[in-house]
Parts: sequence; C-alpha cells; structure tokens
Amino acid sequence: MKKKKRINVASRLLPVLFVFLLLSLQIFAQSDARKITGRITDTKTGLAIPGATITVKGHNAITDSAGKFTIMAQTGETLVITHVGYNTSDIKVGNGNTLNIELDIRSGTLDDIVVIGYGKVKRKDLTGDISSISGNELLKTQPTTFEQGLQGKVAGVIVQQISGQPGGAVSIQIHGISSITGSNSPLYVIDGVIIPPPSDPGDGSGSNPLNSINPSEIETIDILKDASATAIYGSQATNGVVVITTRRGSISAPQISYDGYLANQQLAKKLPTVNLQQFATVLNARGAVWGFDIRPQFANPQYLGTGTDWQKALFRNAPTENNTVAVSGGDARTQYMFSTTYFDQEGIALGSDFKRYSVRLNLDNKTTNWLKIGTSLQLVHIDESVNATASNVIQTALSMTPDISVKNPDGSYGGVTNTAGWVNAIANPVGLTAINTDEKHRNQVFGNVYAEVQFTKDLSLRNELSGNFDFNTNNTFTPAYAFGKDVNSISTASYSYGQNFYTVVRNYLTYNHHFTNYTLNALLGQEAQLSTFQNVAAGRSNFPSNDVQSISSGDATTATNSGTFGTGTAIESYFARINFTWNDKYLLTGNIRRDGSSVFPANNRWATDYSGAFSWRLSDEEFLKSVKEINELKLRVSYGLTNNQNIPGNTYTAQLTTAANGLSGNAQYQTNLPNPNVTWEQTNTGNVGLDGTFFNWKLNFSFNLYNRLTNGLLLQLPLPLYSGTTTGYSPGALNAPYVNIGSMSNKGFDLHIGITGFSNKTFIWKTDFTISHNANKVLSLGSGGNNANLSETSGISGQTDVWEKTVVGQPIGEFYGYIYDGIFAKASDFRTHALSANSAGIPYPVQQSGGIWYGDRKYKDINGDGIIDSRDETFLGSPIPKVQLGFGNSITFKGLDFYIFFSSNIGNKILNTLSVTQNNPQNNTNYFTSVLNYANVAEINPENGNASDVNNYYVTNPKTDIVGLRNDNTNYNTRPSNLYIENGTYLKCKNITLGYTFPEDVMKKAHLHTLRVYMSVVNAFTITKYTGMDPEIGSWNPLQAGWDYGYYPQPRMMTAGLNLKLSK
Amino acid sequence: MKLINKIAGLILLAFAIGGCGKNYLSRPSNSQISSNNFYKSTSDLRLATASLYGGANWWQWHTYAFIPIGDALSGNTYVGYYGDFDELFTRTITSQNSIVSYGWTGLYNVIAQCNLTINGINQYAADSIPAASINAALAETRFIRGVAYYYLALDWGAVPIIADNTKLIQQPLLNRNIVSDVYKFVTTDLTYAAQNLPVSDVAGRVNTWSAQGMLGKVYLTLAGLGQNGTRSQPLLDSAIKYAGNVCQNSGISLYPSYYDLFRAQYNNVPEDLFALQWAAGVTWGNGNQLQQYYAPSGNLVPAGQGGWNPLQPTYDLYQSYTWKDTVRRKATMMLTGDYYPELEAASGGYTAGGTGLKKHVIGTAQDNNSPAMTAQSSIEDDAMLRLSDVYLVYAEAILGNNATTTDAVALNYFNMVRQRAGVDPAPMLTIDTIMNERRIELAFEGQYWDDIVRLSYYDPAKALYILNNQNRDVFTYSNGVATLPTSPTGGTIVPATIYSFALPIPAADLASDPNLANPPVAYY
Repeated sequence: MKKKKRINVASRLLPVLFVFLLLSLQIFAQSDARKITGRITDTKTGLAIPGATITVKGHNAITDSAGKFTIMAQTGETLVITHVGYNTSDIKVGNGNTLNIELDIRSGTLDDIVVIGYGKVKRKDLTGDISSISGNELLKTQPTTFEQGLQGKVAGVIVQQISGQPGGAVSIQIHGISSITGSNSPLYVIDGVIIPPPSDPGDGSGSNPLNSINPSEIETIDILKDASATAIYGSQATNGVVVITTRRGSISAPQISYDGYLANQQLAKKLPTVNLQQFATVLNARGAVWGFDIRPQFANPQYLGTGTDWQKALFRNAPTENNTVAVSGGDARTQYMFSTTYFDQEGIALGSDFKRYSVRLNLDNKTTNWLKIGTSLQLVHIDESVNATASNVIQTALSMTPDISVKNPDGSYGGVTNTAGWVNAIANPVGLTAINTDEKHRNQVFGNVYAEVQFTKDLSLRNELSGNFDFNTNNTFTPAYAFGKDVNSISTASYSYGQNFYTVVRNYLTYNHHFTNYTLNALLGQEAQLSTFQNVAAGRSNFPSNDVQSISSGDATTATNSGTFGTGTAIESYFARINFTWNDKYLLTGNIRRDGSSVFPANNRWATDYSGAFSWRLSDEEFLKSVKEINELKLRVSYGLTNNQNIPGNTYTAQLTTAANGLSGNAQYQTNLPNPNVTWEQTNTGNVGLDGTFFNWKLNFSFNLYNRLTNGLLLQLPLPLYSGTTTGYSPGALNAPYVNIGSMSNKGFDLHIGITGFSNKTFIWKTDFTISHNANKVLSLGSGGNNANLSETSGISGQTDVWEKTVVGQPIGEFYGYIYDGIFAKASDFRTHALSANSAGIPYPVQQSGGIWYGDRKYKDINGDGIIDSRDETFLGSPIPKVQLGFGNSITFKGLDFYIFFSSNIGNKILNTLSVTQNNPQNNTNYFTSVLNYANVAEINPENGNASDVNNYYVTNPKTDIVGLRNDNTNYNTRPSNLYIENGTYLKCKNITLGYTFPEDVMKKAHLHTLRVYMSVVNAFTITKYTGMDPEIGSWNPLQAGWDYGYYPQPRMMTAGLNLKLSK
Repeated sequence: MKLINKIAGLILLAFAIGGCGKNYLSRPSNSQISSNNFYKSTSDLRLATASLYGGANWWQWHTYAFIPIGDALSGNTYVGYYGDFDELFTRTITSQNSIVSYGWTGLYNVIAQCNLTINGINQYAADSIPAASINAALAETRFIRGVAYYYLALDWGAVPIIADNTKLIQQPLLNRNIVSDVYKFVTTDLTYAAQNLPVSDVAGRVNTWSAQGMLGKVYLTLAGLGQNGTRSQPLLDSAIKYAGNVCQNSGISLYPSYYDLFRAQYNNVPEDLFALQWAAGVTWGNGNQLQQYYAPSGNLVPAGQGGWNPLQPTYDLYQSYTWKDTVRRKATMMLTGDYYPELEAASGGYTAGGTGLKKHVIGTAQDNNSPAMTAQSSIEDDAMLRLSDVYLVYAEAILGNNATTTDAVALNYFNMVRQRAGVDPAPMLTIDTIMNERRIELAFEGQYWDDIVRLSYYDPAKALYILNNQNRDVFTYSNGVATLPTSPTGGTIVPATIYSFALPIPAADLASDPNLANPPVAYY
C-alpha cells in the first residue's frame, strides 16, 4: 500500500517535469511576414489609446503614447487588440500596410469572464448565481485578509468579523446557514488550490489559514451561490464556493508597480468602566451593607484620583504597513506575474501582531501550438503573536479594578494585594502581555502546476496538480511571576511543530463546439483529494530563569511530549457538465458529480450531487429588442442537490486512546460515542434570478430569490449530561456522536444594484447597493421531536445556564431566558408580582438574607402559575441578522477620487456577557459606571420604623435595572434574561477614501507611468444601540452565534498610501 | 505521428494519475485504535477495563462531588468562600448547583465508558479469548457500572437507567426510572460480577469479594427502601449472606494500621476491596485532585498549587470521636498543633496551624518519592469500599430490625474495627452505635450521607432528627479546647425535610430533557 502510493506520487510528478523541459524550447516560426503599422483610437472620443496590446501569431506589440504600433504579420492573419476597459477587437490583416483601429469602451460587465468551476464563461452566458468582485474593489477597504474585504460588497453573502486580532478570521455565510456542524464556511479555491476553511479555534487563538493570501495579488473573486454553480465542486461546496483568481501576466512590456500604505489603528470604542472614585463609592456602600470587605483606604473617595484606566493601559495606537512590488508582462508565448509583499500589523491590544512576507509567481507558457503549461505559486511566511487572545487580556483588562496600578513604584507589575471579602486575584493583563510569549510562525507553500493539451480546436485536456503545504510552529512561555496575590510559581514552556499537507490531482476533458445556432460545452473529469497532517509538541516547566526559554533549559523530569500522524480526509470524485446555448437566448446547464469520502462508514461512502439550470435572455427576444431602455435582461432558474460531509473522520466507530493509569501504567479508554449510521447531509437548493441592465448601461441589477432545504443535518449531537457525552469541555465525557438529526430551511433574497449616476469626461459618480435577507427555520430535529432543543449552556453568571435553544419552528441558535420586569421597589411588589421559587416550586421567602428582597429583579410570569421558575423562560430573539446591507458611493472628478462605504446589520440580537458581570454590584471584579445606579434600598421611616418590617422599605430609584447591594443572590438576579440580550443592529461606515491621481504630463516629466496617493479611514464610525465594544460578532458555531465574550474589537484605521506604476 | 504519440501518452498518464487505489477512502486514525481493531486478546481486555478504575471518566464526580455530597450535606465538613458548597451545607441547593451537576455528569460519564466497553467486548472480542477472561472483563465493567448506579440511586433517587449509550442517538430523551428498578439494575450487575470475577487478581483490581461486599451493602440499603419503621428481612438476609461471606470466607483481613491505610505507599492493601486508581503526572481532568482542592494548606501540595477550598471539620464530627479515638481522628482531620512527620518531610514535618482535612492529604512529590506527581495528580488510590465497611454492614444487617443486639458474630466484626483503631470494644450494638462507628471509621470517604439516606428509607423521622440536631459550626482548637464561633457557620441552615434526601436533577438536564420532570417510570 505504502509502496504503491509512492509510485503514484512519482507518476504524478512526471508531467510536471515533462512540461518544464518543454518550457526551455522556444520556437520562433518565421515566414513571409511584413511590417504593419497603425494607430488605435477610442471610438467615441477619437483620442489615442496608449498601452493597448496587439497580438498576432508569435508576435506582439504595444501602442505608444500616440496610440501607434508596429508589428510583423502576414495577410490573412488576425490581429487581436486588447486593452483594459475596452472591448477586444479582432482585425484581419488585408493587403494594406497601415491599419486604423477604433476600440469601443466596454459597457456593462457582460463580457467579463466568470469562473464557474473547472472552466470559465462570459457573464452573459452564465446560468448560475455567481457574484464577482474585482481585486481593485476589494482593496478599497485595505483588508488585512481578503475575506474582510467582502463585507457588504456581495449580495447574499453575510460577512462578519470574528476577532479584530490582526489576521483574525471572519465568518462567511452564503445564503444562510445550512449546517449546524459548526462550520458554514464556503469552500475557498485559490487558483485551483483548495484552502481549508478556518475552523473553530476554540479559545480564539488559532491562526486563520486564509490570512496567508495577499489581497493585493487578487484579480477577481467569484462567489458561487446557487446549486447550479456549486454542484460541480461537489460535497465540499454546499455552503457555496469562493473562487479566487490571482493576477496573471498579460502580453505587454514589463509593468512594474508598487503599492504601499501606512496606517494607524486605534480602539474605536471604550467601555464605560468606573474610575477609582466611583469604584470606591460603590464598594463603600456595599461594605456598609455587607458588614465586611470595608476598605479603609477608600474612606474618602473624593480624595482619590481616577485610578488606573485598564483599557487605556492595554490598548495602544498601533501602526500597520503594507508594501507590494509587482512585475508582470509577457510575450505571446510566455506571460508572467511576480509579486512580493511585506505586511506588518501591530494589534491595538498589547501582545498581538501579525507579519506576512509573501512571494508569488504566476507563469503561463504556450509551449507548442497544442500544449500550454503554467504554474501559480505562492510562498508565505507569517509571524503572529496571539498572546492577547490566548491570555484573554481584553476580558481581564475589563475585570481589573481601578485601584490596582499597572506597575508598582519599584517597576514590578501591580496586582490584587488584598483578597479579603470575595475578591479574586486576577492576573495583570499588561503584565501578561509583557512577560508571556505565545508566538505562531508559519511557512506555507501553495500553488498548482498545469498542462493543457489542445487535441483539436474543440477538445482539450487539462491535468492539474495542486497542493497546499503548511509548516507551522507555536512556542509559548509563561514565566514565574507574582502580580500581587496572583502568583504563578512555576514557569512553563511549550513548543509545537505541525505540518499539514493537502494535495489535489484533477484531470478533465473539455469539449466546446459552436454549431450554427447553438453552442455545446461539455466537461468530463476526475479528482482526488488527500489531506494529511503531522505534529509534535513538547513542554517543560521549572525554568532556572525567565531569560532562558528553550525547552531544554526546563526541568527534565517535568518533560511532556505528544505527537500525531494524522490521516485526514480523502475524497475521490468524478464529474461531468453540459452547457448548451441556443441562439444566445436560451441557456441550459446540467451538472453531475459523484463523491466518495473517507469520513463515512463503508456502506455510506458515496453520494451524488446534481443540478440543472436554465436561463433566458429576454432582451434578445424580438419583443424587447426594440425597447432601447433595456440593454440586457436575463431570467435564471436553477435547482440542485448537494451533499455535505463536514465532519471529522472515524466518528462511525468508537476510538480508543492511551491514557496513563494508576493500575497498569496504561489503559485504553474510549473517546467518542460512535454512530455507525452517520451519512451525508443533503441540501436542495432552488434559485430564481433576474439580471438586468437599463438606461444605456447606467443601471444594472441582479436579484436572486432562493429556497434551500437541508435534510439529514449533520450535528455533533448535544445530548443531556446523562448521556456521558459532550460537545464542549467536560472532562471524562465522550465526544458526542455525529448524527443526521433533522432538517432546516433557509429562504431569502438578495439584490445588488449598481447605478452610474452621472458620468462625463471629468466627473463620474457611481453607487452600489446590496441587500441580503435570509430567514432560517429549523423544520425537524429528528428523533428528539418537539422536545429536542440543542441547548447551549454557559457559566458566565456563575452558574451553568442555558442561554440558547434551537427548536423546531424557530431559527437556529435563538437566545433563551427570562423576561426582565423591573425591580422589587415597593412592598406591594412582593404581593402582586410572582416570586422566584426553588426546585420544589415553593417561592423563596421575602427576607434580606436567604430570600428575595428590595432591589432584586422581577421576571415575567409567562405561564401565569404565580411563581417564577424555568417554565417562565422564553425565546429572546435570534443572533442572525434579518437584513445585511452594503452601500457604496464613488465619485471621480478629474484626478480626484472619493469613496465611501457603509455596511449594516439589522434585526439581530447579541448576548453581552460583560454586562452580566460588570453591571452586577455583587461582582468582585470591575464595574461599568451604570452600577452607580444600583437599586438604593431605604427605610420609609428610619427613625421609628421597625427595621425588620418588610413594609418599612422602598427603593429610591425604582426605574433602575441594577440590583441592590446585598450579600445574597437567592433571587438569582444574573439569570439569563433579555437584559443581557441586546439589539445588535448597526450601521458602520466601513471606509472613506480620498485619492488623487497625478496628471499624465506631470508623470511623464518624472519618468513615471501613474501615481495615485490616497488617505482613508476604515471603521470610521458605528451607529448602534449595542453597549459592547463592537456589534459585529461573527461566530463559528451557529449554536453560539452572537455571544460576545469581550472579543478583540475591530480597530479604527487611518491610512495613507500610494499606488505607483513605474512603466507601462 | 509523433504528435499523436504524445497525445496518447498524456491520455494514458491522465488515467494513471486518476485511478485511485481500492483503499483510498479507507483512512483509519493513526493516533487512536478503532474499537473494531481492538479486543483481540486478553491483554486488550485488561487495558480496556483498566481505564474504568480512575482517570478522566471518574474525575468530575471524584474531584467535586463525592466528598461535598458525602460529608458536607451530612454535616461533617464546611468550606467557606465557595457558594455551591455552601448550598450543600445550608441545604439551599438549587438545580444550578455545580457540585450536583459534576456529580451527576461524572457518574454518568463512568456509566457511558462502561456501556461502551461492554458493547466493544460483546461486538468485537476475538473468539480466541477464553470465555472466562471475557466474562471476567464484563464482570469488572458491570461491577463499576453497578457502583455508579448505586451512588446515583442513593443521592438522586429515581434516575434514568442507560444500559446502552448508542441507543440515545435514536432515543435521546429519557424518563427517570423508579428507584427500586435502579437498585434492581445495581444488584443484577453486582450479582453478575460476584459470579464472574476471580477470587483474587492483581492488587487494585476488583475480585468476587469486592462484588459480594458491595452486594451486601446494596442489599442492606435496599432492605429499608419504601419500608416503614422496619426493614425487609429477606433483603437483610441477602445482605447477611453476601457481607458475611466476605467477612468469613474471603481470607482477607483488616490492615493493621488505620493511619497507614491513607498513605500512598500502602495503596491497594487487601483491605481495599475497591479503590480508584490514579496515575502521577497526568494533566488537569485526569488525576486525583482531592488534596489540591481540599488540603488545609497549599504547602502540602506539590508546587504549592493547592489548598483552594480547604475543608474544615464541623464541631459535630469532632464531637463524635471519643477521647481515646486519636488514631482515626488524626488520620482523618488535623487539629491545631498536630504534627505529621511524613508531610513536608524535607523541612522536618508539618504542624497543623488550624483545623483541616488530613485524609487524602499525602503531601508533595518529595514526600511520596514520586517525581512525576503533581498538584493535579496525587498518587493516592482512594478506597470506595473497604473491608471494615463490609464488617460494619454485616453487623448492621445482623442487627436488622432489632433495637439492640449482642450477637457474637456481629460484635466480633464490629469490635475488630474498633480494636484496630485502639478503642474499647462495644458490649452491645444499636443502630446509633453502628451509625456513629461508620461515621468515624469512614469520615471523608463520602459515606456518611449515604448512611443517613439509608436510614431515611425506613425511618425518615430519625434521619431528620439527626440532621436537624447537629452542631455544624466549625471551630478553633488550641491546647485541647475546641472553641465555637460567635456566629453560626454558613449563616442560616435550612431545616431538613423529607425532600432533603434527594438531590435536584441538574437544571441543564431538566432544560434539555423536559421528560425528567415527569414521574418516574418502571424500567423492568
């Protein structure tokens, strides 16, 4: 088996060697060519077009500044004239030696090439729902990673940043959530290389594999949304496909360009934590009630300063820079694109930064008239510090009280020195970022090589070998330290090395024939994918000094190590597609693909995907041809079935792991509850679309209406605790089984409108608008029936509570809890309002200790049984936005360009966990200033009243929702309730850019081609009612979407940059 | 012609590349064994059953629940600064209580592991393995499953019975089963274990005496279930039969030193009929962390990383020892000034600076000569069933429904326990003398709550009387004088009622399985 594999690899490499040998052959066919000269002008303006490319078999030329060219050609040959922004023109060489050629400005996007998976079509021939975005458009927001740049730009695609950590990942959902296995990530394909989507990093410290792609090298991104577009990619494409095409060389003289910017990032919003005086005031009042935890040093708050502002201490103004130098060009035979980039972003939180060094080479060579070969290759090196996220410093900084100094007078880091009362010693977050090490380094090589054989004019074969090789290390060091009473007496270090190899071999035949009235395009292919990984890790503790951090310096007796040779997923596939176009009016597409996947048991290993689509170019019908307002109108209808296999391997059988054991040294224990019947998740997708362009190409739109129905939902099934299984952290529990549990639907629409509001020679105004709406509904949860709820718990309130439920008839992952109904403010409240009860249903007594008291929270008695218990919990809203909007405007006036872009989420809810702790005066960490408005309980008759009489009290500020000061939580005031589920609607000004392109004549004098300088603000401002740092809370796990644990916020970024082209 | 050759070559190449091997899609893990490739020999079975004796699957119950439930609910101990613990102590337990949740989850984790092991053996055990080995492995597994269900029945009463976790995939929402059926499930498992376990095995593994001792205890418990005032004589007779068989015929005797029983170098002496087995050097969530949590001082724990929730004995427990009962008292709890030479031995021993826990506190890695031992991996193998426990069960079963007994056999075994502790023999037995003896002998072994629940089955008034007349205050101690605090420990303690004998079902499970709120149903 092993031997056989090696032979296979060798045989796969053969064609590569073969094509490289051929590369060295340069054939210059010479014949009776003669010199042809000419001039190329714009049809409308009559002005010369410099820089246009003229190619003819074996030769190419470029027009000079006067639009003139000279080329060798013979009679009967065809000159092909191309220039960016113009329609390509084919001119047959006649008998003359001079040619005057006019080029038309390309209107609309009909002739744009769209990637459809194993092929390309012109946009006008498209039948599926595919949105495209150009590299230039993408770069407008200066994204660190390309996915960030997609936000609001593509209709039907919901993009949300998960962490503002430099290089951090975003979650992307295309046409809703079809899966609850955690990832609803689309498939990412870059130049044919599949990049594994980012997986849930758990603690948020994981690297984002997509951040190795340099956005400035991207030519276009095509987003395949409906089944007719995605089915050809098979089982990994259920959630859509994002196809990235990098820039390639064209037939031209070498073009050298430099793009660079410098930026400064800052924290966009500070949370309202108390200052020292306010803190002391609350603690004094509380100490008076508690009878302990009275701090003599707070006796006179007015003499205290403002204390430490921990947010100010942790967050900084952080620089970012990006430099890209690219060279591209080529002749008729070989085209090249070479680009190199250095990107360096410091995080706004201490202890986070991201550096990317990358080199890309894209080569295409027409080796012989029947063979074309090429490669896309990228080498990347990434250095990341993820200490801020791994050490959880943002949450910690918000928990630190203002009485603690960042540093003591002696230079050591400050910390909690008095733990009297219930005060916890929290680690100093600034200290942690300074002394802890958590660095990730990654070298990544990805790319492909291909050979394309043209057998006949119509039939070609493409062999492609692509791979993604990732080598990464992670080293951590936690020194011994003492931050006040927070003492870590033992230093620890760990180092891990891992490598992930992902390879794909694919071969496909394409047949393309134009008949008189129709065109037939057929594809037949095969693909094999394999991923493997290896890793080792080592750790030691007890280092003699904090200055020596290599593993070997630690105490040898504490050494630990681990390692795995992982066999990842293998997929084997066969696929076919037919495109049929009749009279350019009626277009038909059919796809079929058969996938085999190793993650399923042998009897369920294979699945078939299929799809069909029909589109009708109404505008080519006689009855519309005469309507000159309509430039193009196309109706699309598609339907298809795709299968999803997004689960880990070997879950269908119980796995045993070796564990140290007191009895026999070693033992084998089972780690998962197997499901021998696990099978594919199936999604049926129907899509109707209408594309149109009106009013002399000034208005274009694309509208899609879709309905996706997923059956056999794959889920790591959260079972009750008594199952002995877990989907999260629960030592000793088995990993929950992967089960096909039910069905879910997503219905929605998306619309993109582009308007050229005004355009003449000096002034252009363009507007783009996208709107996406998706409604998710769980239709069935299988055998669990109506009682199943996939609830998710959290311990944020100090106890384990269910905060989320997924039930039949509701959208996935809805918030769940009580409805807040004011506080107990007057004596009659205890009689008229339902009281919370113990598990036997007996209401707690109204008393100060061990009962319900003034200033406790009232909750709605939803079932009307007179007590508050778990039966009064209800649904509190969905974390999924009802609508996501994008709105961009660009204005060009002579050399000036201005761009402003907004994105918005409407109608979603966010669980603000920080408000659970920081708005609670019983909490012993820090507070938000709202705590100052705690329910103030006073006696009605302080002089003569009976202090033990319940009726002798009232709350002076009955409108507050902050509980009173009391050392008792019988009422469980921090229970899940709508107080913590906030409105997540926001409008963000994502980007404002102002640029200036220097006039041509100035450039000429400077011997430069073009120069544009610009300034921009990213995340300029946000309008929202949400009280946390950032309402944009992306999530990996749809069952825990919208849970804000104090994520790394997105910074506001001010940028100054330039785009320079040295030569044409 | 040449061109055509090239084309032909490329086509051939394409197909050569394309053809995937027959096993291409079969990718077993390289780091884990699949169950269908395991259970091929007796040693495979032994590796599988070894994991049931400790480690991760026991961890949640062992770390958080067994002492708090067994000793705090029953009034033996208190810990400040720990709200969930306080709820147990003051009887204000909510269904969100994390200790209750850990205990519930932990026991069901053990059960899940046992059930999968039984499935694995039944489905995949090779024909070449002798039937006796297969049955013995099944018996070990069922012994441990039986013990876990016994704790569930005692602490929660009616609970869902799961005999095969894979069935939960189809049928995840269970009802509770009536408590007598849970006990029946326990005795069925233990009877199978008693019949199929060997007479002896390597130290640390259970044998038939372990199962019979456990059966005796379960029958003694069951004898009172649903009874009013008296216990069921046939079930008492079963208790006498099994416990008596262990006392009289096992050939095992009490270990001479009570104190040494709780030191790691005396792990798994024959008296330990069933003890959890803990490895040194394992990570968080896999080891014995009792001393890390409950030791009176961090200095007693490796690397000083412990003593987070130091347990303090109550005055009630302290009072139950007679002045002569020093061996057991000192091995169980520390009083101010007590000197323990084997703890912190390198610095000349440890002198207690206050009252605190001693049992399970075995000291640092150096004290135990175990370099790999860490704060979260104590090497103490703590007993769940000891021979002295079975002796006391035997005596109680003979006492049966009599108010007193002077039965010679009962007195003989009862007094062997006292003799070892260096206290005077008892002339006569009552339920009070036996309960008190059990409380002292087994303090901080999680047993006293079980004893009270056992009593509550047939005499709830007496069980309530015990609970409601305890002095649960913690005390300071100096020069032989125990001083009570000025205000009651733990604030107001809610009086026990008949509902106090069953712990609440964890809220998370009530939320995810509303059927648990329904009345329990029959299993058999």
